[in-house]
Amino acid sequence: MFAEIFIDPWVDMFAAPDFLMQVLWEGLVSGILYALIALGFVLIYRSSRIFNFAQGIMVVFAALTLVGLHAMGVPAWVSVALTLGVMFVLAVTIERVVLRPLVGQPDIILFMATIGITLFLIGLGETIFGGENKVMITGDLGIPTGDTVLEPFGGLLILQHLDITVVIVATLLVIALLAFLNYTQMGRAIRALGDDHQAALSVGISLQTIWVLVWFIAGIIALVTGIAWGARAGVSFALEVIAYKALPVLMLGGLESITGAIVGGLMIGVLEKLFEIYWGQPLLGGNTETWFAFVLALIVLLFRPQGLFGERIIERV
Amino acid sequence: MKDTAGYITEDGRQIGGTLMEMRNITLRFGGVVAIQDISFDIREGEVRAIIGPNGAGKSSMLNVISGFYTPSEGEVWYQGKKRPPMKPYQVARQGVARTFQNIALFEGMTVLDNVMTGRLTHMKAGIASQALWWGRASREEVENREKVERVIDFLEIQNIRKTPVGRLPYGLKKRVELARALAAEPSLLLLDEPMAGMNVEEKEDMSRFILDVNDEFGTTICLIEHDMGVVMDLSDRVVVMDYGKKIGDGTPDEVRGNEDVIAAYLGVPHD
Amino acid sequence: MAHLTKGADGLRSVPALLARNAAQYGRSPAYREKEYGIWQSWTWAETAAEVEALALGLLNLGVNEGDFIAIIGRNRPYLYWSMVAAQSVGAIPVPLYQDSVAEEMEYVLSHCGARFVIAGDQEQVDKVIEVQEHLHQFEHMIYLDPRGLRKYDHRRLHQFSHVQEQGRAARDEFTGELNRRRDKLNYDSICVMLYTSGTTGKPKGVVLSNRNIIETARASSEFDHLKPDDEVLAYLPMAWVGDFIFSIGQAYWSGFCVNCPESPETMMTDLREIAPSYYFAPPRVFETQLTQIMIRMEDSGTFKKKTFDHFMAHAGKVGPDLLDGREVGFYDRLKYRLGEFLIYGPLKNALGFSNVRVGYTAGEAIGPEIFDFYRSLGINLKQLYGQTEASVFITQQPDGEVRSDTVGVPSPGVEIRIAEGGEVFYRSPGVFVEYYKNPESTADTKDQEGWVATGDAGFIEEASGHLRIIDRAKDVGAMADGAMFAPKYVENKLKFYPNILEAVVFGAGRDRCCAFINIDLAAVGNWAERNNIAYASYQELAGHKQVLDAIQAHIEETNESIAQDDMLSGCQVHRFLVLHKELDADDGELTRTRKVRRKIIGEKFADLVAALYDGSNSVYTETEVTYEDGRKGKIKATLEIRDAKVVPVTPKAMAAE
Repeated sequence: MFAEIFIDPWVDMFAAPDFLMQVLWEGLVSGILYALIALGFVLIYRSSRIFNFAQGIMVVFAALTLVGLHAMGVPAWVSVALTLGVMFVLAVTIERVVLRPLVGQPDIILFMATIGITLFLIGLGETIFGGENKVMITGDLGIPTGDTVLEPFGGLLILQHLDITVVIVATLLVIALLAFLNYTQMGRAIRALGDDHQAALSVGISLQTIWVLVWFIAGIIALVTGIAWGARAGVSFALEVIAYKALPVLMLGGLESITGAIVGGLMIGVLEKLFEIYWGQPLLGGNTETWFAFVLALIVLLFRPQGLFGERIIERV
Repeated sequence: MKDTAGYITEDGRQIGGTLMEMRNITLRFGGVVAIQDISFDIREGEVRAIIGPNGAGKSSMLNVISGFYTPSEGEVWYQGKKRPPMKPYQVARQGVARTFQNIALFEGMTVLDNVMTGRLTHMKAGIASQALWWGRASREEVENREKVERVIDFLEIQNIRKTPVGRLPYGLKKRVELARALAAEPSLLLLDEPMAGMNVEEKEDMSRFILDVNDEFGTTICLIEHDMGVVMDLSDRVVVMDYGKKIGDGTPDEVRGNEDVIAAYLGVPHD
Repeated sequence: MAHLTKGADGLRSVPALLARNAAQYGRSPAYREKEYGIWQSWTWAETAAEVEALALGLLNLGVNEGDFIAIIGRNRPYLYWSMVAAQSVGAIPVPLYQDSVAEEMEYVLSHCGARFVIAGDQEQVDKVIEVQEHLHQFEHMIYLDPRGLRKYDHRRLHQFSHVQEQGRAARDEFTGELNRRRDKLNYDSICVMLYTSGTTGKPKGVVLSNRNIIETARASSEFDHLKPDDEVLAYLPMAWVGDFIFSIGQAYWSGFCVNCPESPETMMTDLREIAPSYYFAPPRVFETQLTQIMIRMEDSGTFKKKTFDHFMAHAGKVGPDLLDGREVGFYDRLKYRLGEFLIYGPLKNALGFSNVRVGYTAGEAIGPEIFDFYRSLGINLKQLYGQTEASVFITQQPDGEVRSDTVGVPSPGVEIRIAEGGEVFYRSPGVFVEYYKNPESTADTKDQEGWVATGDAGFIEEASGHLRIIDRAKDVGAMADGAMFAPKYVENKLKFYPNILEAVVFGAGRDRCCAFINIDLAAVGNWAERNNIAYASYQELAGHKQVLDAIQAHIEETNESIAQDDMLSGCQVHRFLVLHKELDADDGELTRTRKVRRKIIGEKFADLVAALYDGSNSVYTETEVTYEDGRKGKIKATLEIRDAKVVPVTPKAMAAE
């Protein structure tokens, strides 16, 4: 048993480095999507202290809207634009109808409100688009479907073009978001609002504008992840689970840390894949990916309650 | 009515017309009257102080000016127009910048980023350009950075440019907060107890900066302070408040001679 | 470059060097200064134009040949230009220490009879205005930074840029006069006058000619192969001769670039950004940096600390050998490379030393550990020994012959002689012309044949030919039993402990030595924090029992090492106390260059000295202090006096030598 846990996996890794690379690559692909989703959570949490339970359903809703619009005969790229429009309207509506009236309420009320949003969107989605599974319009969007075969170490490494596209697009989106947050005035305003509301008001930052903005960013993220995940797994309400994968990422990275979200996402993506292949399948019969991330996050929290990157909370007297 | 020609200060500075006027301001919180029927004006280019013992309603008055409180009664006139009830961020965009008694900075951000937020009121490129149309937004970014660097140089905080504000000592935080307010190039700068909690040396530094700001940029300044000595040296005209009422208004010398003021400060019971 | 090595023949003044640089290196950078967060730079051609505009402006203001122009402010290109512009119009630049108080300035300004002052900012302008009534010859002041000065009376006050503008406008009228004056400059014209702070008495104006500066700059530039692409950071006081030699003499001779920091507080950041190739710092700066590194390493994680210690130990073993080009085994070489990648490189980068080709330290003795630490990192840190009167260089260490306990061999062109009593004398082309308006002092210091007394006692090591300095000649005294008393020697040993910032040893004419100690607040404070020792003030920390224990241990260790030295074993410290305040130049206890003024301290704290010798266990004292804003206050304290273990020896009496 000892050898199976502590020795064999490493031996396997070294024996077949090409396969190890394959596993790492696949972990990276999921990881970057987790990171994106976690970023959406972090942005909303930082600027309004709301834990956005609706992030998952926003992914589904965005994907459904895109596919639905296309099914109505709208050209693929126009559908993307229109879906973005829908996500913007959704952001404005949420700010007007839900957030603005609830300003100043306890955090738990706002959290409940996002559950409300979730239920509402499930209902709305099913009413408009129906509950059955759909296929992502991968081809129409011009996303390549083939694969590239490499032969590192004389072995075999298969890179799906879809995955490559996902990694590139998601990376670009993350970089763009970071640049936006760090080097533009609007980005500074978002970060500022997360730090101190009163001060933010005094320099002319409008809460409403920022809230609409961060919810819209969350919407964009939802659409990108929706397309990426939908292309692999089909478009259904089950897509929602990808958002829950962001939870351990947040526990690991801290709710307020942008770096934490990115690093945490990548870490979880890669580690859960490694664990599944080298420990999960041989020892536990597989399917560990559903719970591994949570267990990892719990273990980390035992030692660092603030997460890996969160600010250490120092109580001052 | 009030003359608009202004006046000349003791040290020979020309003070302009009325910039802001508070007319019969009353502020109530439930049954408590924080400010009772107070009127005064702030003129362009002057250093105006509001003083009074603790709990006199000074901070409430500053919050009315900056839009954090809406007065229960009375009118606020700004730049010759009556100001409708406004949110603080709207007041800020009209050119009123402020600092806070207890320091409200963005602790997780660097000094530079904090001061850059002061330029938010001057943002011309919209959200879309910020995200997409790099040309205009990045040009604006460069312009903002230049303005901000001048403020950083002016307040001598170059050495902490890249330091996260959370790591700075109290006195420097106060200075960074002033820098952020200055970066907005405000028409009216509100300072809420700028010297609170400072030692003698820091107070002297801060006084010098306040005078230099007024001198170099001609910024109109309205400040609250309870340290009489500091106020009298700094300001051109002083409003004295006590228990929410105005008990004096005039030059430091006039105010010093005012019996109500002396009574309020020496704690003589008034009836 | 043949032209360069031909000697200083055609180039007999700094303005002439500037003209050559503008022609020869016109487009390479001469000055940089960080302002508004960006490094602004000026080429040699631009510099020549700026200097000329200012020179014309000075003529326009009525500067005569032979006038003294005082220059006060932090290191800025404009002030360096001011010096060269002053020289160009036949005037003599007199840089002043910018942290001098008004009275100190008054003395210097009236002593040289400065007609003009060029000041950096309001602070300096205010000081001059404060004393101007007593300055009969003072006429005009030029300032750089207009901030806060708008409302001042501008009849005798001019903004720097306006003076330059007026100069440019008056080009036609004055160019002829400027050229005439510039052409008249020769090797015997006065280049600069520098006031030495001196450990006693009033400052003396050291007159240095173009010959002194240019010959010295030439010799020392050749010694270290300085080139036009070298970079220096100018951050030491402009009134100090070293800065004048590095930032004007050598910079103009070699044509390299002088970089000025944004403000004194940003010095470390600016150093990192510039990464100079030629660097000078007094030992104190290296000490502070090392202390900071050590504090940070103490605070860091175990793994990081272990790695650091491991590789630093390796660097200590092979680093100096590698630097001096000696044989080092392949494995050690490889490991040093790895260390360079992991530790030394990033560390040097953080310190701003990644590009240092030649680094010097001087002014005080440097602790061997400190010296070796930097050298083991691969930084070519060397020592030199110099004086204002010598235009800096007397001795310096050649590459490959660097040690912490000597100050090197005589610099090119310098002759050294050791007199009877051990005092070091030198003669060189850099020897000063005279002390201004002080023929007696000039005669006391410099004899007919041009030999100058350094005032330091030392000897030449037989084997290496290196000079070793023991102490100030007049501070080397005798104890009651005739044994040699060299306080500086002991103080330096003590100061090598990071916990000890300053030490003052007494013992001349007495039967044993006793000492005052100043703790280093940064090091001891950090230690206190890590050990959860609460303290509210310097005074409280200084009186803490555990601090005293630590200091006592340091002193006893030092005593053991002193006992090894036959001649000086009588200098062991028998009793000590830790002072309740930091010694401060503002209180007159240190010179502006931070050397202890033993006599003044001895008089000021006479009660404490008495207590050290009368055997009491504690003493109550009150001390007057000056705050930064000039107000005075009193500190009261009861100080504990402790005995330190000494090694019993019979010191040889000096007569026996």
